[in-house]
Amino acid sequence: MNVLIVEDEKGLALEIDEFLSHEGFTIEHARTKKTGGEKIFVNNYDFILLDLGLPDGDGFELLKMLKDLKDRNDAVIILTARGAVDDRIMGLEQGADDYLAKPFSLNELLARIHAITRRKHKLESNEIAVKDFRINIQNRTVHYLNERINLTKKEFEIFNYLVLNKNRVISRTNLTEHVWGDVLEINSDSNFVDVHVKNLRKKLSQFIPVDWFETVRSIGYRVNI
Amino acid sequence: MKLQVKLALYNTLTKLAIIVFTGLLILFSLENITYNHITARLKDKKDELMKHLSSKEITQILNQQQSFTDYNILKEEYIFLKPIPYLSSRQTEESFVTARRTIEQTTDTYLILTYKFNFNNRSYLLEIGDTMDAVIQLKQTIKEFTLLMLFVALSLTLVIDLVFTKYLLTPFYQIIDRKLIRVNDPMNFDYKKVNTTTQDFELLDSSISTLMKKIADLFILEKQFIANVSHELLTPISIISSRLENVLLQEKLTEDSENKIFASLKTLNRLKSIINSLLLISKVENLQFDKNDAVDLKNVIAEVYSELEDRLDDKGIVFNNTITHAYHFQGNNSLIHTLLFNIINNAIKYNNKGGSIVIADAMYTEQYILEISDTGIGMDSEQIELAFNRFEKLNRHEKESYGLGLAIVKSITAFHGIRININSVKDKGTTVKLIFSKEMI
Repeated sequence: MNVLIVEDEKGLALEIDEFLSHEGFTIEHARTKKTGGEKIFVNNYDFILLDLGLPDGDGFELLKMLKDLKDRNDAVIILTARGAVDDRIMGLEQGADDYLAKPFSLNELLARIHAITRRKHKLESNEIAVKDFRINIQNRTVHYLNERINLTKKEFEIFNYLVLNKNRVISRTNLTEHVWGDVLEINSDSNFVDVHVKNLRKKLSQFIPVDWFETVRSIGYRVNI
Repeated sequence: MKLQVKLALYNTLTKLAIIVFTGLLILFSLENITYNHITARLKDKKDELMKHLSSKEITQILNQQQSFTDYNILKEEYIFLKPIPYLSSRQTEESFVTARRTIEQTTDTYLILTYKFNFNNRSYLLEIGDTMDAVIQLKQTIKEFTLLMLFVALSLTLVIDLVFTKYLLTPFYQIIDRKLIRVNDPMNFDYKKVNTTTQDFELLDSSISTLMKKIADLFILEKQFIANVSHELLTPISIISSRLENVLLQEKLTEDSENKIFASLKTLNRLKSIINSLLLISKVENLQFDKNDAVDLKNVIAEVYSELEDRLDDKGIVFNNTITHAYHFQGNNSLIHTLLFNIINNAIKYNNKGGSIVIADAMYTEQYILEISDTGIGMDSEQIELAFNRFEKLNRHEKESYGLGLAIVKSITAFHGIRININSVKDKGTTVKLIFSKEMI
C-alpha cells in the first residue's frame, strides 16, 4: 500500500516514514501544499496523511481538491496540531476518513490505518487469526474455533489494538488513550487497564494457554505472533 | 448618583441658599429702613411743631384746653398735646414706642414719638403718631414681590441650568453608554467618534477607543499566540514521541533502555496533557467555543459515568445517581462533558477506597442546582480558596495530578455563567454545587 505524507515538519515525516515502511508501506513525501497537490493529481494513494498547517496554505484545500477529482478512493487522515475547535468536525464533514491530533502515537496511527483499510475495502480478511483465535473486526467478535467468546466492548478494543500492533510492547498509557480516548488528566498510573486485561486473558485462557499474551514488566503488554 | 443629577442637585441647593439669604437680607433691611424712615419723619414733624410753638395760635390752644388732639381724616397721623405736672429739670425727654391707640373708635398700631418739654414755665407731653398699617402693608407687598421675583428667577435659571448641563453632558453619556456599558467584547467595539465640541470628552472618547484598540489587538495576538503555541509545542513533542516509538522497534535494545524510553514517552504524554489543558482554558477564556447545543445534563452524567466506571470499580466506590429532573440548557456539550468529567474524576481521585459519590439535584423557581458529593479526604477552607488556581496541587502525593482540573472547571463554569460552590470538610468529604440560573435556558 502506498502512502503520501503531506507534512512540512521533516522530522515527523521521516519518523512516520520509518514506522510505516517497517510495516511494509510504500511512502512518498510532500512538504508543501503545492507539491502535495501535484502528487495527488498525478497518483492514486491508498492513504494520504494530511497536515493542515502547511507553509503555503491550508491542508483543507488539498482535501477539497482531492474530493473534486473523479474516481478517487484515497483515504485521508488529517494530522494536525492546530488547536481549532471545529477542525475535526470540518475535516470529517469535508470527507476525511479520520482525524488525529498531534502528538499522536504511531501505534494509534497504524490502528486507524488498519481500521480504515478494512472499512473501505471490505476485505475478506475481516477476520484476523491469532493463534487459534479469530477476531472479526466487522462484527467485533472473537471466536475460538467455532465457539464465540463473550468479550466486553473494552476487552475487545484492547485485544484488537494489541493484535494490530502485534510483536510490539504497547504501554499502558498508549492503551488507555486508545480505549478511553484523549481524556484530559487521565490517570495512566491507575491499574484499571490491568483489570480489563486480566479479565480478557482469563476469558481467552479458558480454551488454551495464552503465553503469547505477555505482560511486559511495568510498562505494558505485548502480543507475540 | 449620576453626574447630571449631582450637578442639578448642586444648582438647586446653591440657588435655594441664595434665595434664603437675599430674602432674609431684604426683609431685615426693609424693617430697618421703614423704621428709620418713619422716626426721621416724626422727628421732623416734632421740630416743626416746636418751632411754631410760640405762635399765638398754639399758645392759645394750650391755654384754653387741658389737652389737644388732632388727626387727619384717614387717621394715619395724629398729634396729641397735654400739660403735665411741672418738670424741674431743663432736660427734655424723647422716646419712640410702637403701641396701639384708639382714635374716634378706630384702633390702630402707631409708631409714636413721645416728647416731654417745658414751655412758658409749664411742662407738656407731646405725642406724634404715624400709623404702621400702611408700612406693614407695604412691607408685605415688597416681601411678596421680591420673593416671587426670586422664585421665578430661581426656577428659570434652574431649568436653563438643567437643560444646559443635559446638553453639555449628552456626549459624555453617549461615551459611557456606547463605549463602556454596551461593550462586553473588545472585538465588537464601536470605534465611531461621539459628536462633541467639548475637548475633555473628545479626549476621553479617543482614549477609550485607543485603549480598546490595544485590548482588541492583544486579544487577537493571544489567539494567534495560542494557535502558534499549540503548533510550535505540540509538533516537536509529536516528533520526539514518534522518534522514541521507532527506537523501540529496534531489536537490540537493552531492557534498561527500553524502560527509559517508555518512561520518556510517559513524560511526553504528561507534557501533552498539560499543554492541552492550558490550551483548553485559554480557548474557553477567549470565547472560542460556541454555546449552540441543547445540553441534557442527565445524559452527560450518564456518559461521564460510563467513561469513569472502571475507575469507580477500581476503587470500589459506590456511585449513587439520584437525579430526578430533566434539565436542559443552551451550552457547549463537550465543555459541559469536560466539566462534569473533571468534577466526578476529582470525586473519585480524592475519595477513599470503598467510599461513595452522590449526585443529587433540586429545581427551584429561579435556578437548578446540581450537587456532586464525595466521601473523600476533603479540604479545609484555605485549600478551597487555592483549589481553583492553576497548577495548585493540594495533595502533593498525587503523582498524576497537574493541578489544572479545577482551573478548567472554573473557566468552563464562567463561560456558561454557572455559579460554582464548594463545601468541604477535612477527612469527611467534598460537595461541589453547580448553580444554573433559569435565564440560561
